[in-house]
Amino acid sequence: MISPDAAADLQAERRFDLVAALLIGVIAMLAAVLAVIQIETAQAAGRAQVEAARLTADLSARLEVSDTAQGQVVVEQQEALALAIQGTDRAIAGLQHNDNGSIAVGEAEHQAGADLGGALTATSATSGGAPLDSYTSSLLTATIGQLVAEVNEQNRQVDLANDAGARNSRSILGLSFLALAGVLTGLAAVLREGRAGWIALLAAVAMAGAAGLMAVLAVI
Amino acid sequence: MPGDLFERATIETPAVAVSEMEVASHDRGYGGVAVLLAIAAVVAAIIGARASMVSSSANDSWQSALRTEVKRSAAAMNDVQTLYQSDLPTAVEVLKARILAKEMQAAEPGQSPAVQQALEIEAGVQSQLAVSLSSGAQLPSDPAYALPSGGYDLGKRLADIRSENAGLVALDPDGLQATGDGLAQKALLMTLALIPTSLAALLGVLAQPLRRHRTALLGSGVVALAIGVVMAIGVEVLA
Repeated sequence: MISPDAAADLQAERRFDLVAALLIGVIAMLAAVLAVIQIETAQAAGRAQVEAARLTADLSARLEVSDTAQGQVVVEQQEALALAIQGTDRAIAGLQHNDNGSIAVGEAEHQAGADLGGALTATSATSGGAPLDSYTSSLLTATIGQLVAEVNEQNRQVDLANDAGARNSRSILGLSFLALAGVLTGLAAVLREGRAGWIALLAAVAMAGAAGLMAVLAVI
Repeated sequence: MPGDLFERATIETPAVAVSEMEVASHDRGYGGVAVLLAIAAVVAAIIGARASMVSSSANDSWQSALRTEVKRSAAAMNDVQTLYQSDLPTAVEVLKARILAKEMQAAEPGQSPAVQQALEIEAGVQSQLAVSLSSGAQLPSDPAYALPSGGYDLGKRLADIRSENAGLVALDPDGLQATGDGLAQKALLMTLALIPTSLAALLGVLAQPLRRHRTALLGSGVVALAIGVVMAIGVEVLA
């Protein structure tokens, strides 16, 4: 027969080994889960940051291009209007001084101003039209509504990046706890089933629990 | 000591010998545990490294998409500025001079000779101005850009300016972003293969203390490991 003390020692040793083995297995599983979460959140954060930066660049281009095109068309229309006003002024001055030449030139200038305005209206109607590529066309024909929608989307992407970044930090914290749990389990395996060994093992369990909590917080 | 004698006696009994034989028989399979854990660790390391590489490629594609987006928008802005701030003002001056010349000539009939002469001179000046300004300027001088109702076809002219650097027009940041998305999905699926692999490790380490169930645990561990390997290979080949 085996002595009662030896049997008790054997049982305690087996219990210790079982807990340590289970803990090592749980650490391995948690490491896999946290790795999946970490990759997913890192990618989500990276993609959202890039998307937000792309939208910022696109918004800048739309604002710059539409401002350039529309601003220049307005300037040219003002020139046509100025020509028409100049013609009217000249004709009025000709009437006041009984100068038929000024009247005729002024009327011709006034008509030229009106013609130029019409031609410029037709010109601006072709802005962003065929056969221009769709991207450049979309820059030139951007509406205020489209720009507002793009700004909202850009803000949403920034929020997504922040949220994914926070979740990524939790998953990394979880992996750190898990590394600590692994070290403590190794220490427990060295100390064996004595008081110090059990303390190390229970601390490892606590660290693994903290890592599990971080995994849950990183998912929600 | 009586205690020592008792202990020596108990150690040497047949029951203890049988118990040691059972332990020895239970120790069989330790090698299997070690092999399973070692293979699971190697497989997990390979999967992790590969997933990390694919994820890095995804990130590279996304960053390329951003760089391409900036390059594309800068090129478009440059071309738009060339047309609207350089070509168009000159073309409008030419158009204005041509229209003025035409209206001056149209106003001549019915006027006194002196007024006709004044209109003729003004029309000549404007015609000369139009010719001078349009030399070397493609928008006002190329009939391909002239609209039937007067004015210029800015869409056509800008398309031609853009086609001078066709490579910049063909830039496709959306395509690069889609490539990055695909690689990110592949990396994530690859990482999922770590879960059955780590389950194999869990079953392997449990097989160490749970001697009675060692065979079943090792068998289950091998199956879990095989699932992980198949998942990883499947993702690598198909995704």
